[in-house]
Amino acid sequence: MNGASNRKLLIVLGPVTGIVMFIAVIWMASALVKREYREPYRAPAATVDQTPRAAGEADEAANAAKVAQDTPYKEVDYRAFPLVGSRVAIWMAAQLHLLFAAFVLAVPIFAFIVEAIGYKTGDERYDRLAHEFTKLLSVSFSITATFGAALTFMLIILYPKFTNYLMSVFSPTFLPYVLLFFAEAFFLYTYYYGWGKFHPLVHLGLGLGLNLVGTGIMLIANSWLTFMMSPKGVSTSGALLSLTDAIYNYTWMPINVHRVIANVAFGGSIAAAYAAFKFLHATTDEERAHYDWMGYIGNMVAISAFLPLPFAGYWLAKEIYAYSQTLGLTMMGGAFSWLFIIQAVLIGNLFLGANYYLWLGMGRVEGAQPFQKFVKYLLAAIVLCFMVWATPRSIIATVSEIRAMGGSSHPVLGFLGVMSAKNTAVNILILTTFMSFMLYRRTGKITTVAWAKMGHAVQLTIFGLVAIFVIFLGVYGYFVEATVRIKLSVPQVLSVLTAMVSITVIDIFLYRAPKKTGEVRWGRIPAISQYVLIFIAVTFTWLMGLMGYVRSGLRQHWHVYGIIRDNSVDAFTPTLGFATKVVSVTVLLFFVLIGGVFWIASLHDRPDFVRKPRLRGTTAGAHAAEADELV
Amino acid sequence: MRIPHSVRIAGLVLATTLFYGYVGQLVPQKEVQPPQATTLTGDISQAEMAKIGRQIMDGKGLCLTCHTIGKTGALRFPDLAGVAVRAKTRVPGLNDVEYFAQSLYEPTAYIVPGFPPAMPPINKPPIGLTDQEILCVIAYLQTLGGTTTVTLQTKHHYNSGAAAAPAGAPATPPPAGPPGKQP
Repeated sequence: MNGASNRKLLIVLGPVTGIVMFIAVIWMASALVKREYREPYRAPAATVDQTPRAAGEADEAANAAKVAQDTPYKEVDYRAFPLVGSRVAIWMAAQLHLLFAAFVLAVPIFAFIVEAIGYKTGDERYDRLAHEFTKLLSVSFSITATFGAALTFMLIILYPKFTNYLMSVFSPTFLPYVLLFFAEAFFLYTYYYGWGKFHPLVHLGLGLGLNLVGTGIMLIANSWLTFMMSPKGVSTSGALLSLTDAIYNYTWMPINVHRVIANVAFGGSIAAAYAAFKFLHATTDEERAHYDWMGYIGNMVAISAFLPLPFAGYWLAKEIYAYSQTLGLTMMGGAFSWLFIIQAVLIGNLFLGANYYLWLGMGRVEGAQPFQKFVKYLLAAIVLCFMVWATPRSIIATVSEIRAMGGSSHPVLGFLGVMSAKNTAVNILILTTFMSFMLYRRTGKITTVAWAKMGHAVQLTIFGLVAIFVIFLGVYGYFVEATVRIKLSVPQVLSVLTAMVSITVIDIFLYRAPKKTGEVRWGRIPAISQYVLIFIAVTFTWLMGLMGYVRSGLRQHWHVYGIIRDNSVDAFTPTLGFATKVVSVTVLLFFVLIGGVFWIASLHDRPDFVRKPRLRGTTAGAHAAEADELV
Repeated sequence: MRIPHSVRIAGLVLATTLFYGYVGQLVPQKEVQPPQATTLTGDISQAEMAKIGRQIMDGKGLCLTCHTIGKTGALRFPDLAGVAVRAKTRVPGLNDVEYFAQSLYEPTAYIVPGFPPAMPPINKPPIGLTDQEILCVIAYLQTLGGTTTVTLQTKHHYNSGAAAAPAGAPATPPPAGPPGKQP
């Protein structure tokens, strides 16, 4: 068959097929239309299931609906949080909030000081450093606010009755708190985004405003939490008598002071860790020099704030004892006494780390060799003090060992486990670290004043006399009554502070116009020093977590000590092992988040993204040409 | 192979945190349960009261957090060994039960020389022992150098409002029936 015949056949079959299909459609439509509508089958009403079971079920449903309607609204005291329980959930949210809050409050303090130094001296490096610190703030501020909101919601959900009580006492403080929070956001963002956009004094004013507002927020929040520990201004049943007294309770001011100092120490250490992170990833000598310097300043801030911290801690402990001896003794002699051995390990490591970093830092200064020979003696003193401080009063021992010792205290070492020895050890530890810092300060310099010899002799005499005085009081404490012994820590602390201040003042005048034996070679420091900075930051964070636990856990089975009892399933005080696990997880979470903050802050310095032309297959040349035309 | 700094930093953070967590596992582990009120009925013996009193001192009362029994040296608070003997003559005008009651309800009324005024009222929060629990504590204290004379029905200045008994007077009439069955 040829092509022409096929074509004719298709012309004939086409209309035929069309007609057949048309008929088929008509037929199908007619058939469907003609089909009668039938109701779906339902059993007649008379045959609906009326068995006793069905009737019973209907009655039950009706009763349940009625009961549900009649149920009165009832406040619940507690709600459960899945998996970890309410206490751990609140604990972790509060701890993360506080860690970020501490950082957000601390960084503006030293950024402001560094910026002011830069303005005064005209040294651009300080301004750049302050700006670098501030870069870490905006993201941290958002995270702080997020955890603050999470904590508030969780308190309302999980501890509604207690939260309601706290709100009833402190309701007048909430609005000022919110307003201050707005003000903080204003100052923070204008301070950060306004860098270099205003007159330096205006910008410093913004920084000052940020610090004042931040401190105000902290003071208000501190009143809530210190009230829980040492309530005042309420009746024995909890009724509010005086809001001023409730705010200005026994531990409010000591906590305020302790927190400001601790925040600066913590913030300095985190900023130093950031610098270490950047130093380790630096690709140029200039970057290394900058971040070495930044790490040094951050660590300086941290250690300078850390040295007076134990004194603020003494004051806080004294006020806790003054409020309630029971509370004080629970802390130092009861359920929490072993916690202070863990604290001793942490603080001992901080001192060791801080000193090690200073000693490593001497290597970056030309002409440091004469001072490096003292390091081994300083190390010996630090280790000795560390060992005394970490000596427990009672020892974990078997029954036979306890019998052999004649008690749970070691016959010799037990004497080092009491406060007389520990106070002495910590004071000498502070003096030794201060000495390390003074040696570092002198590296590469020779004093030129005429009274240099006498000045050094006076400094050494002050140091020696204070060390002897502190040790004497420590030994004397073993031979006097408790009432006298408790008070000995005050002259110990005051003498150490006097030594630190007087030696520093003399040193400033001694080295006012020194002859330089060598320059500081920033960036020329072993990489391990940067890991030491990170180690210090982790230890500070862990220490904050631990001390946060003891401050809050001290209330034991009380929401508000002696006023509102904790009747929840979590009212018991957990083991220290459990508490340290929670602290560890929280610290790890914090570092994951702060790592994110570092990464986001580092995006600021990243070069802008440039879109590259896409080259594909054989048309590559044409696209490239188009791209060239567009450019 | 050179390990990247980021991995080393993460390792250091993890290792440091785990180390401190491990230190936390090395110290003694004690879970402290909230104290429960002791249920006391009127028919318990004086020996049972003293036994309960000792348990209260160890637990809910927190007494032995500060006080020792049979320890010498530089003590922070008075040792309780032989306190039953001293209590009879410590404060003129108070017998042993009244003295103990005063020490527990109003501890700053008399301070043992050489020690700080540090004891809180035991009947008030946060410790908040009941009157009956305090009688049990007194019963135990009386055994430290003496014999228990109190019962759950014993009245003193702080649970009846009556005036304190003069020094040396018997705290309660001697029991007529079996111990603890005083009328």
